[in-house]
Amino acid sequence: MEDYFSGDDDDYVYSDRDSLDGLENEEWVPPKGSSTKVITRESLLAAQKEDLRRVMELLSLGEHHARTLLIHYRWDVEKLLAVLVEKGKPSLFSEAGVTVNEGANSSLSSSSSVMCDICMEEVSGDKATRMACGHCFCKDCWTEHFIVKINEGQSKRIRCMAHKCYAICDEAVVRNLVSKRHPDLAEKFDRFLLESYIEDNKMVKWCPSTPHCGNAIRVEEDEFCEVECTCGLQFCFSCLSETHSPCSCLMWELWIKKCRDESETVNWITVHTKPCPKCHKPVEKNGGCNLVSCICGQAFCWLCGGATGREHTWSSIAGHSCGRYVENGEQKTERAKRDLYRYMHYHNRYKAHTDSFKLESKLRETILEKVSISEERESRLRDFSWVTNGLYRLFRSRRVLSYSYPFAFYMFGEELFKDEMTKEERELKQLLFEDQQQQLEGNVEKLSKFLEEPFDQYPDDKVMDIRMQVINLSVITDNLCKKMYECIENDLLGCLQLGTHNIAPYKSKGIERASELSACWSNKSNTTDKYQPLECGTSGGTSENERLSGSGSSDDSGCFSRKRAKKDGFGPSFFDLNLPAEGIDRN
Amino acid sequence: MIDFSRVQKELQECSRDMEASGIKVTPVSDNLVNLSGTIPGPIGTPYEGGIFKIDITLPDGYPFEPPKMHFVTKVWHPNVSSQSGAICLDILKDQWSPALTLKTALLSVQALLSAPEPDDPQDAVVAQQYLRDYQTFLGTARYWTETFAKTSSLGVEEKVQKLVEMGFPEALVRSSLEAVGGDENLALEKLCSG
Repeated sequence: MEDYFSGDDDDYVYSDRDSLDGLENEEWVPPKGSSTKVITRESLLAAQKEDLRRVMELLSLGEHHARTLLIHYRWDVEKLLAVLVEKGKPSLFSEAGVTVNEGANSSLSSSSSVMCDICMEEVSGDKATRMACGHCFCKDCWTEHFIVKINEGQSKRIRCMAHKCYAICDEAVVRNLVSKRHPDLAEKFDRFLLESYIEDNKMVKWCPSTPHCGNAIRVEEDEFCEVECTCGLQFCFSCLSETHSPCSCLMWELWIKKCRDESETVNWITVHTKPCPKCHKPVEKNGGCNLVSCICGQAFCWLCGGATGREHTWSSIAGHSCGRYVENGEQKTERAKRDLYRYMHYHNRYKAHTDSFKLESKLRETILEKVSISEERESRLRDFSWVTNGLYRLFRSRRVLSYSYPFAFYMFGEELFKDEMTKEERELKQLLFEDQQQQLEGNVEKLSKFLEEPFDQYPDDKVMDIRMQVINLSVITDNLCKKMYECIENDLLGCLQLGTHNIAPYKSKGIERASELSACWSNKSNTTDKYQPLECGTSGGTSENERLSGSGSSDDSGCFSRKRAKKDGFGPSFFDLNLPAEGIDRN
Repeated sequence: MIDFSRVQKELQECSRDMEASGIKVTPVSDNLVNLSGTIPGPIGTPYEGGIFKIDITLPDGYPFEPPKMHFVTKVWHPNVSSQSGAICLDILKDQWSPALTLKTALLSVQALLSAPEPDDPQDAVVAQQYLRDYQTFLGTARYWTETFAKTSSLGVEEKVQKLVEMGFPEALVRSSLEAVGGDENLALEKLCSG
């Protein structure tokens, strides 16, 4: 805990330069064989095969019975097995409406006649169908029943027509009878059955993209995570909104709503411009830096709008610190006003960082240019992956930083956790958190500064120096982000008595991109050791994942691989992982 | 499409054992979409002695979709709306099975009269009274049966006069009464709906 206090100077100098040797460079390597899978229309059947097969083998059932069971137990195989152990097979089956009765399915001969209780007509045996539950009605009535149920959207659980019979009709019979009269409806029935795997399964969800990309995402263990679909959309798997960690889903929902509600007043006043503290002209920010100077010559801090001296470095202004929320004594008298100011404080910082984020995303074009210019030059420096890695780290940390403000707003506010902490506890925790936040902020700004340097025009030794700084700062910001998440999970959210707030865990490597579910992807793993040029942000990225996943060059989780991946094919494909989420500028 | 041949058969079947069941189903119009059913109040309940009229509308998908039923006669019962006559009964909703018929459905409604389910109420006021003050509930239910479910003593002329007093033109009142078979409540409904 103590070291949180020790880093009071914003510089956070990386003292141990030797450690850089071992570090060499951090390299973005996609997660090994990501456990998150994209399910497309084509692979939907394959995706559920595994679960179906397990149930079929275990209970020696046909596929349609296994599906009926799985639909009933919402594709939770563990739950299904628990019921089997606890209550036994007959109860398991009857609860799900499964009737396994081979004898009953015998076909009726055409010579006999059957009284159908539905249409109340006498029909010959070949025009009637007996279900596994033993109930027999004429085919026309069955068909009509199925059509009504499919149109009602009940395809997944079509029950027998007999009163108080809870048996689920055999899907093959349904398909067969319906397709004779309405082939397209039979297709719809099949699709409903298949899509049950997505609709009724808490580990699988549709990608929330609009227009819809047609994909669904399956996660393996933890539903509290952030994922990226092959369509490029990054989202929170738990609440399906944009990625928002370290905010919890509830915090984010409240925050978005608040931003919308308050937009009339707050946004209008403060969002787009800042008045110069001297001449009061509105000043627009046009770069990633938080230190602006007005044309009148006055320097001021973009975060708080306060006038500052000219004496400043990139990350700090001499004698100026505004990352902390300071409660003004006068405001206390007027609660509403205080709340508004409090909100504005957090919102301004949140907004400032998301704005920087957007500006920095534009920066990547220029940086790419600089890289290619540098690569052309006669120089002993050939490797510029540190630039893109640094840029990636900047984006990642900037996001964490901007979402940490709404988090702090709720964590230390009275709206959600009023009774969770005493005032003293709250203040202490807030101090700790803000300290971390400030450290991160300082280093992110520094990283931003170095990446904006025109290194393509610098001599080699200066470029080497910048390289060192960028690598150094990348490691620092990564560690600070990690620490911040740990602090949130263990010291802040972990201590809550009432209510649970879960956040997606921090991943150094960024949001996990779901890999496509396919049967043959492992074949490719060792055939290529070169990155192919890939299109930006398209599904092409997945094949990269697939190839890499087998190469054994990446560590498991969280940490960067220290091994160098091949860099000769290094190209723009790296950037697609760094793109900001589309929704980040919604406010 | 409604399976009319089945509806015809149901009507025949129903009239055949009307004596035994006391349940009557008659078509209101020629098209067999609107029907009218009556059930006698179950013996030993506050509904005893009353004849309860139920309006039946068959949906397009009948018998694969449940018939729509509501009480025309006002009833004081936890599962029947005292305002609209709407019935809260599972077999008229998701528990409907094509193997059920109008007669069995009406029998279920009759059974509901003798066995209210106040935990799944349609009318919260009635249900509360049922649970908290059963005696008052019995009294009110009995009073409603007396008032609304006993054969109307009003003659046609009195009905006409009553409706005219409400402000409808006499010719229209007469034609409406005729169209609904002399029932003043239905006639009023018809007049109000325009």
